[in-house]
Amino acid sequence: MLETLLPILIFAALGLAVIGAWRRIRLWRQGRPSVVPLFKGLAALPRRYLVDLHHVVGRDKVISNTHVATAGGFVAAAVLMILVHGLDLAQGILGWLLLAASACMFVGSLFVARRRRHPPARLSRGPWMRLPKSLMAFSLGVFLITLPTVGLLPSDAGHWLLALLLAAVVAWGLAEMVVGMTWGGPMKHAFAGALHLAFHRRAERFGEGNRSTGLKALDLENEAAPLGVEKPADFTWNQLLGFDACVQCGRCEAVCPAFAAGQPLNPKKLIQDMVVGLAGGSDAAYAGSPYPGKPVGEHHGSPHGPIVGRGGKALVDADTLWSCTTCRACVEECPMMIEHVDAIVDMRRFLTLERGETPNKAPEVLDNLIATDNPGGFAPGSRMNWAADLNLPLMSDLQQVDVLLWLGDGAFDMRNQRTLRALVKVLRAAEVDFAVLGHEERDSGDVARRLGDEATFQSLAKRNIATLDKYRFQQIVTCDPHSFHVLGNEYGELGGVYDVRHHSTYIAELHDAGRLAFSPWKGGSVTYHDPCYLGRYNGEYEAPRRVLEALGIELNEMQRSGFRSRCCGGGGGAPITDIPGERRIPDMRMDDVKESGAALVAVGCPQCTAMLEGVVDATAEVRDIAELVADALVVRPAAQAASLSRQPQLEEVS
Amino acid sequence: MAFDAIFQPIEIGKLTIRNRVVSTAHAEVHATDGGMTTERYVRYYEEKAKGGCGLCICGGSSVVSIDSPQGWWSSVNLATDRIIPHFQNLADAVHKHGGKIMIQITHMGRRSRWDGFDWTTLLSPSGIREPVHRSTCKTIEEEEIWRIIGDFAQAARRAKEGGLDGVELSAVHQHLIDQFWSPRVNKREDQWGGSFENRMRFGMEVLKAVRAEVGDDFAVGMRICGDEFHPDGLSHDDMKQIAAYYDATGQVDFFGVVGSGCDTHNTLANVIPNMSYPPEPFLHLAAGIKEMVSVPVIHAQNIKDPNQAQRILEGGYVDLVGMTRAQIADPHLIAKIKMGQVDQIKQCVGANYCIDRQYQGLDVLCIQNAATSREYMGLPHIIEKSEGLKRKVVVVGGGPGGMEAARVAAERGHDVTLFEAAEALGGQITIAAQAPQRDQIAGITRWYQLELARLNVDLRLGTRADEATLLDLRPDIVVLATGGQPFLSQVPAWGYSDDAAESLVVSTWDVLSGRVAPGKNVLIFDAICEFSGVSAADYLADKGAKVEIVTDDIKPGAAVGGTTFPTYYRSLYEKEVIMTSDLALHKVYREGGSLVAVLENEYTGALEERVVDQVVVENGVRPDEALYYALKSQSRNRGQVDLEALYAIQPQPCLSEEGDGFLLFRLGDCTAPRNTHAAIYDALRICKDF
Repeated sequence: MLETLLPILIFAALGLAVIGAWRRIRLWRQGRPSVVPLFKGLAALPRRYLVDLHHVVGRDKVISNTHVATAGGFVAAAVLMILVHGLDLAQGILGWLLLAASACMFVGSLFVARRRRHPPARLSRGPWMRLPKSLMAFSLGVFLITLPTVGLLPSDAGHWLLALLLAAVVAWGLAEMVVGMTWGGPMKHAFAGALHLAFHRRAERFGEGNRSTGLKALDLENEAAPLGVEKPADFTWNQLLGFDACVQCGRCEAVCPAFAAGQPLNPKKLIQDMVVGLAGGSDAAYAGSPYPGKPVGEHHGSPHGPIVGRGGKALVDADTLWSCTTCRACVEECPMMIEHVDAIVDMRRFLTLERGETPNKAPEVLDNLIATDNPGGFAPGSRMNWAADLNLPLMSDLQQVDVLLWLGDGAFDMRNQRTLRALVKVLRAAEVDFAVLGHEERDSGDVARRLGDEATFQSLAKRNIATLDKYRFQQIVTCDPHSFHVLGNEYGELGGVYDVRHHSTYIAELHDAGRLAFSPWKGGSVTYHDPCYLGRYNGEYEAPRRVLEALGIELNEMQRSGFRSRCCGGGGGAPITDIPGERRIPDMRMDDVKESGAALVAVGCPQCTAMLEGVVDATAEVRDIAELVADALVVRPAAQAASLSRQPQLEEVS
Repeated sequence: MAFDAIFQPIEIGKLTIRNRVVSTAHAEVHATDGGMTTERYVRYYEEKAKGGCGLCICGGSSVVSIDSPQGWWSSVNLATDRIIPHFQNLADAVHKHGGKIMIQITHMGRRSRWDGFDWTTLLSPSGIREPVHRSTCKTIEEEEIWRIIGDFAQAARRAKEGGLDGVELSAVHQHLIDQFWSPRVNKREDQWGGSFENRMRFGMEVLKAVRAEVGDDFAVGMRICGDEFHPDGLSHDDMKQIAAYYDATGQVDFFGVVGSGCDTHNTLANVIPNMSYPPEPFLHLAAGIKEMVSVPVIHAQNIKDPNQAQRILEGGYVDLVGMTRAQIADPHLIAKIKMGQVDQIKQCVGANYCIDRQYQGLDVLCIQNAATSREYMGLPHIIEKSEGLKRKVVVVGGGPGGMEAARVAAERGHDVTLFEAAEALGGQITIAAQAPQRDQIAGITRWYQLELARLNVDLRLGTRADEATLLDLRPDIVVLATGGQPFLSQVPAWGYSDDAAESLVVSTWDVLSGRVAPGKNVLIFDAICEFSGVSAADYLADKGAKVEIVTDDIKPGAAVGGTTFPTYYRSLYEKEVIMTSDLALHKVYREGGSLVAVLENEYTGALEERVVDQVVVENGVRPDEALYYALKSQSRNRGQVDLEALYAIQPQPCLSEEGDGFLLFRLGDCTAPRNTHAAIYDALRICKDF
């Protein structure tokens, strides 16, 4: 009886899956066009899956092995099952292989089940709770029906009732594993996930050491192109596909600083809301952690309905979108390679450009940028006030130098001015041929862009590029990772391609070249806070640590450091939009510092410095790497003589 | 951005000043050896530059001519080329830290003394005597006028050759230039007096000669007065006219404006306003001058805190603020603003210890910062953390000496406990601050309170430390700063008793602290003539008492400095306090409900009586030595301070000697009654090496 039933079941399931896939693809195709090389993408899929994706998944060995056993077992079992039971090609080794594959999958499913016994809060419940049972049903069912095939049991073993029961188990397994894959069950992640890998909108992020973190420019010239994303269908089709790939593992939720601070953002829920939006309906079925302070079931959406409602509730509230610090911790952790930050900025672009609904202080900051080219609204002529006594060489005088020192808008901030002065002292000690743009420099556009004001960003960027194009220099060095990111990763699309280095990288190079000498560290214990825009955005984790080591500092690393560093709360315009939560992100970061036992936290970002120094009753001092280096400088006699004749070495009380 | 107005660079002539804060010209009294700037002088200005000061104008009343005596205030002597290499050291030291430095140059005319050094003949346009210095002078001759004009030009050349960034011509404080300006002093009928143009001529010729000598790329400014405050002197309108007249030449790069003339004791007090003045009392005069001129205007006088400076600059009243005493109190003022440590700034309280020493020909020191102007000796403004042992330091007494000892020891990284018997810190400062117009002296305590809290010093207020409590803490070092008590028992006939009900006299402390209610008819006998006597008189009169203050010294308040006794006198005369000199308190007895004070004339021995209801005696402080003698024999060093090391600013040798038990030091009034500065200086120089 099974011989008759199984092919029917298998091909019925496959047939249903094809129908489901067609329906699902139609949902994704509601999105805007995005040109990706389809066949090249499909060809790259195995490598992206096995290398890039597993690089992320492999951070948790148990889950990684579980997934290898379960998914690997399933893929093999499914293919073999079609051959063995669907097409009756049971000869020789295939049956045994099927037996082995289903056994492997069963072992994997036991681990899945174990994990679901006391699932961590980040995992979604709901249908996901039945998945281990479905996996077991499939693998066990397939195993059992294959026993007679390989001759371990007689082909007529058992009663017809038993056979029927077994067929039902297999049917359950097929329904979950094959039909569910395209009709919206938990296994949807395999189908959508695989296609998302193949058709990913940032193909350049795959491959050893590659990263792609710059936001993509809006086409402001094309009047037909929407300004940002108003409704789910405004996303590109492969973005929608990406949302649909979400496996609801909640790794993003676990690392999201805004979620931890009790602000109304949970990256996982946001992605699930987009899935609700692309299919239409309400978020009532969502079975994970809600946005803090926002009950589930009150929001609904449709592909062509607004994401953020005017007045009332729609799919997502605006404060959810404005809570994001753009720290990329979610993107870094996502095993499905979903681009949460792109999506959030896309939606912010619409709110800012079309509706003018940038909240709190943000409109003032944007107005300032438009009027004064700096977010603080300071008189542009006061940009160089901090250096009035430094006689900094200007690009306009020199035209050509080795290093263009990009100051960033920290030039207006009294705290960051100390970092800048320290950096100048270091460059002079190493006799670096450098100059600044002076009053010709403008804000890089980072904040404008993260706040969704693409027009102001592009205006600033184009003018900066025009200025930079006038001069010749080997590289740009900056102590501001945000400028570093924007100049290095985002100006390229607008025609400005530069070799940009963070000051820690450059200082490390100077030290390696023997151009800087340091006196031994005499202070207490030190930890290092990785700025998001230096680390996750640009992959620079080593240089700052090398500089600190060269200073004689042995780091007390925080538990969350390197690519897992916790954001200071200062990125993405978050301090400006200032969405209330239950805690402050920088307070949590200073608690991390406290836990490390360090008396000093070294940083490499003006924003991090400001956020961390704003913590009340902090236990650790906050110093930029440049300041630590400047304090430790041992000026070589030759350099001293040379620099005295040209420029005084400025010493200040600090 | 907070304080952004302070940090706007500004151009003075062709010079860029990095911020708007100036240390204005004042006599440092540091230049020695015929007026050459010393290591001390250089380090004093270097510290300001290091602390972020934009522009230092050094050398108040630095002389250009041999007949303007240099020695009385050890001012800088620009009358010789010998000064040039000294200036190079000074300029390098300030430039190294990004600061700019100019010097004030002048001929003081009649405003000096003739009875010493070269026994010069002082000069003035019309030979009229100057009252503050009791100086007589000759009427200046045409040849001398032209010689001095040439001297100004040569002095400016020396400043330029020495690498300084500019000169400020002093036409203020009734120096020679403004002696020519002022019709009060200039009665000439030749081309140097009479009409406006004639009175302006000398200054104009000086300006032209200086500018011709130094060219355009060297800053030349003028310091002028905003109003002489004399009915027959230069009014504010006159000064506006004068400023506009000189500005019109296009040869002046900046003006410094001082509100008030100063050729009498009473106007002198205006020039360096003490704590009785409101903030920036003469800003309006400087703002009036700014209306008339096209170049930056600098104004000092009671601008002490960054918020005030920001407000003044933001309002556009003037272009640069002089924060001169503010930087004497804390030369790192600007650095602390930049570092967001505004509440760590040691703010000037207007005690005028600095300027009052200067007027006595003594070196300028700060009442509350013993490191200022002692940088050359190695006394630090920033106390470095010790690399040695962490010690348990116990300080007894929360007056200025004890607070400084606790601060310095805590900055060194030690574990510090401070005992104070009263409920609050401050010691005698708290008492002094009770007098009318003297409340700001409590700023000294306020800074220490903040610092001791920041440094986590264990404060045991309201706790009188005894031997057992101290030893229980197992201290490594005990510092005693227990002060003393009013010394009323010196003359038994005064009828003092420890029993307040029995005692016929009370102390100024009793009165000021409120322990004793003010009488209605009070006699104060003041043997000391410093602040406490006149403060008590002012306080009692303020409460409605009829007060007579009597001393056997020259005059009540005679030991109060030159910029402060006038503000006491203004207040005392207004309240009809009677000030009587040359009488000593002979005896006090009770008669009926009243007290009879018998006074004895210092010079004739004649006795006279006053019938009053309260007799207040100020006879200084008797050191409180009990705890010292209880601990002395148990301490490792038997309480002795090594004076050679102390005076050489070297560590006390006993600090590096091994041994059991504790070291004992005492400082301030519990050793011998002196003043706030002495207590703080002792504390700093002993504790800096803990």
